[in-house]
Amino acid sequence: MKKLFITLMLVSAFAAVQAQMLISKDVTISFFSKAPMEDIDATSKTAASGINVKTGEVIFKINNNSFQFKKKLMQEHFNENYMESDTYPVSEFKGKIIDPVDFSKPGTYNVAVKGNLQIHGVTKTYQTQAKITVTADAVTANTTFRVKLEDHKIKIPTIVIAKIAEVVDVKINAVYPTKN
Amino acid sequence: MGLGLSSTVFAQDSLEKALQMPATKSQVSATFKSPKLINIQTNETIFKNELDFRVDHRFGDIAGQSGGIKNFFGLDQSTDVRIGFEYGISDDLSVGIARAKGAGPATQLYEGNLKYRLLRQTGNEKMPLSVTLFGSSTISAVKASTDPTSAIAYQDFQDRIVYVVQAVIARKFSPDFSMLIMPSYVHRNFTVFGDQNDLFALSIGGRIKITKRMAFVADYTLPFRDDTKKAYLENLWGNKYYNTLGAGLEFETGGHIFHLNFTNATAIQESQFITDTNTSWTKGQYRWGFSIARRFSFDKKKDKAQ
Repeated sequence: MKKLFITLMLVSAFAAVQAQMLISKDVTISFFSKAPMEDIDATSKTAASGINVKTGEVIFKINNNSFQFKKKLMQEHFNENYMESDTYPVSEFKGKIIDPVDFSKPGTYNVAVKGNLQIHGVTKTYQTQAKITVTADAVTANTTFRVKLEDHKIKIPTIVIAKIAEVVDVKINAVYPTKN
Repeated sequence: MGLGLSSTVFAQDSLEKALQMPATKSQVSATFKSPKLINIQTNETIFKNELDFRVDHRFGDIAGQSGGIKNFFGLDQSTDVRIGFEYGISDDLSVGIARAKGAGPATQLYEGNLKYRLLRQTGNEKMPLSVTLFGSSTISAVKASTDPTSAIAYQDFQDRIVYVVQAVIARKFSPDFSMLIMPSYVHRNFTVFGDQNDLFALSIGGRIKITKRMAFVADYTLPFRDDTKKAYLENLWGNKYYNTLGAGLEFETGGHIFHLNFTNATAIQESQFITDTNTSWTKGQYRWGFSIARRFSFDKKKDKAQ
């Protein structure tokens, strides 16, 4: 009887957790930087994200080596020399949606998001604006922000400084399905 | 009551747990930074639609009989120079052409080569090694010698060709350390009198990162020449055969790779240094060498389409 009760409790707790969490595997993260020699542009479609509807907590996680570059050599350099993906395989953001969002009501919400972004093993606090769109069957989140490479101890040797911008624009688009 | 409590406790860190990260891409990249180490090939090929332009240079002996201040420690001479282009047909297959001065009697070399990645080491250790095959044929355009015992007493065109087949077996042990072992087979259609046409060799090589952009590289090649033939040749020509050892520094600047090295091999091409290295470290017959490689990407069309 006791066992049954615990099982029931766990199952319902799990269900409750599931209901208040939006999980997205359809996350596109791209970054772009314009430099005199050549533009750097990479996209990953294999990031993951979650939103806790009750608390407003958000999380994004991405495997650094999932970024696809048009030039493969650039991709190799990104992983080997700048991101050091062997040592720091994952970048993540853990934060909170500051402004209230009613996830049960369709509409567009412009909100502020604040939290810690960890790239290259270095964590920094960021605050940015995000747009959250709630429709009948999905929640979509969009945001852009700028990352200064120096803030995350990503060093550019002087010899290639003209080739690589020191600030990159990051763009995120995540779709959280609310219906199965 | 109990239910409410447990679900809030859950919610704190389960947001992170609920995230299922896709498996990381498992292929190990950048075992080496360049398709070539010092004397030998690495398992690396260039990417699709990339062109690798490479210049190799070997100076004269630093020390020993012909070295020293009178030829400015070898800088007054060049034993071999090679200019090569490589093009990536796919990420796994590249094709190359090269012109080399050539060391020894067979000079004016034209080389065509193919390099194919057979296996790639994976991150999950399912495949612990990378294997790349390399094949080249080199033609010497030198004027044939009339001395029938000479290495260049070519009778017809066929005699001028040397074939090399190699299998590079490599492993990246850590982000800072990679090693390779490579069996080679060299077939010379024509050799100096008394030498063998077929020769097997075994090479080892490695790379240790010193900083993010500088690495120590070294390679060693051991040819298996028939003992009686070797003794005969050394006796006849008065030249000993030596194994080759190269060591140097590799600099990477993003697009360019520079090598600064020392090696006892006078020749650059596989078709020559494996079979005909008559210069020894212990006699001061080692030299400065350098190489400069630049990669160009030809993926402009794709750039615009996306």
